[in-house]
Amino acid sequence: MRPGLPIRIAAAVTLLALGLVGTVVRESIARERGREVALAMGGYDPRSLLGGHYLAFQLLDVGTTPGQCPPGTQALFDPAARGEGWVALRQAGARHRVAGVANSREEARRLGEVVVRGSARCFQRGQRFDSPAANVTAELGIDRFYADQPTAEALGRSLQAGGAAPDAAAIVSVGEDGRARLKAVVIAGRRHDLKMF
Amino acid sequence: MATYKQRLTRDVDAWIGAGLVPSASRQAILEGVAEDRRFDSATVLAVIGGVLAATAVVALVAANWGAIPRLGRFGLVLGAFLATGLGSAWAVGGNRPVLRHTLLLVAAIIFAAAIGLTGQIFDIVGTPRTALHAAGLSAGMLALAGASPWPAAAALLFIGFGDFGLGGSLSRAPGWLVLAAPMSIPLALHWRSAALAQATAIALLVAGVDGFPDLFSGQRFLVGALTFAVIAVIARGLRPRYEAPAAILYGWLTWGALLYFGLSGLDAKSLGVAHAIAWLSLSAAVVVLGRRDHHGGVIAAGVVGLFAAGASLLWNLGLSLLTSALVFGACAVLALGVALVLRRAKPAR
Repeated sequence: MRPGLPIRIAAAVTLLALGLVGTVVRESIARERGREVALAMGGYDPRSLLGGHYLAFQLLDVGTTPGQCPPGTQALFDPAARGEGWVALRQAGARHRVAGVANSREEARRLGEVVVRGSARCFQRGQRFDSPAANVTAELGIDRFYADQPTAEALGRSLQAGGAAPDAAAIVSVGEDGRARLKAVVIAGRRHDLKMF
Repeated sequence: MATYKQRLTRDVDAWIGAGLVPSASRQAILEGVAEDRRFDSATVLAVIGGVLAATAVVALVAANWGAIPRLGRFGLVLGAFLATGLGSAWAVGGNRPVLRHTLLLVAAIIFAAAIGLTGQIFDIVGTPRTALHAAGLSAGMLALAGASPWPAAAALLFIGFGDFGLGGSLSRAPGWLVLAAPMSIPLALHWRSAALAQATAIALLVAGVDGFPDLFSGQRFLVGALTFAVIAVIARGLRPRYEAPAAILYGWLTWGALLYFGLSGLDAKSLGVAHAIAWLSLSAAVVVLGRRDHHGGVIAAGVVGLFAAGASLLWNLGLSLLTSALVFGACAVLALGVALVLRRAKPAR
């Protein structure tokens, strides 16, 4: 028996376990300390069979001015639209809207008061058959909310029934690192928070 | 298949019968050779039973997953990982190498699942590629800590899936497998692990197409063929010392070298007939080498290469039968001539 082997194994196992716990703690702290913004969302199907029970959604903002896309938001089939950048968000009433996309954090700050890593695409009329005006989808890495099966299915039905329902929102925490973390979803006027217990 | 000890027993009895070895030495010779470790039926059934029990527990937990609070779920996953990992450390003290390797492998798999489940439990943003690479790194760490080849093989699998899995593509920067696969070679040899050698060899062949901008670049495949040939030659030379793992690497990488050489002919700039003839010649040489080394895998690589190269030659010749007959006839004369020279050079017995 090699004398150091059990110690090495135990050390590696402990280190990995601590790493996992540390990740959870770090993410939870960042979620609590980040700036809370509410983003409009719409339903999205189908769900992955192996993804567990969750509500699938997309951050979809219906534009109020037909034909106008925020600066930096590329059209769906624009070959220049590649990679991630910084999405600028500007408050409009109870929600934040996509104000534009930039390559750097500083440039994005000029477009909106909150900046977050990700990308955004703008769909003009005719590019998607159900869009009456310019719609913007924000891709911030958040597209699902895990819940038990009955809750997830009920939320999904509410979201699908509402279409791009004005009262459906994703409550997101934007941390110092510029990453967005989901805190809660609001559907049919009811807030569903991510709880530890 | 007879073990080494069984073959040695037959040989020793033959030597005693021929008067080369005194019969009094028979017992001492055979006792000096360790018996090959084999899994008996009880061990196999115990392993299967363990796997089925683990599957049952996972299914039970999954069925009640929604009813368990988030922290409880995280605790369960973490607890399972700690139990198997620390159990592996305990198995070292009891001199149970199979149990140690098995538990470390299970711990690596549980940790990989834990990464994904933790993201799901706490809605932590991440990509499948990042999660799989993290799982691969973790499995590699457990393998090095426990001197265990099985989690090392799992690490290669996770990293490979991360490179080629969801969101991955062939047209981007080289993936992690390009580094991880070569790093596994010394581990497979040092630990004398056939399983890790198999995984490493396959990972090397896959790494050759991992993330390069031009998939069908003839130059890239030629470089790959040369690289595999060099490693195969080195592995061939290491066979007396490292036996099975070196032989496995030798066989697989010979396959890889011939395959990549053949694929280099797909490039529009390739030399067509000349490439096919070169491929044919290399395949024939590999068959000869395989026969000399008594390596069935290498012989098979050469034979398959001969068929493939022959088909490529026919295709490049535009299926002109007369031209094909001339070219194959010339190749046959060359092969027979070389065989004659080699036979004459062989010392008489």
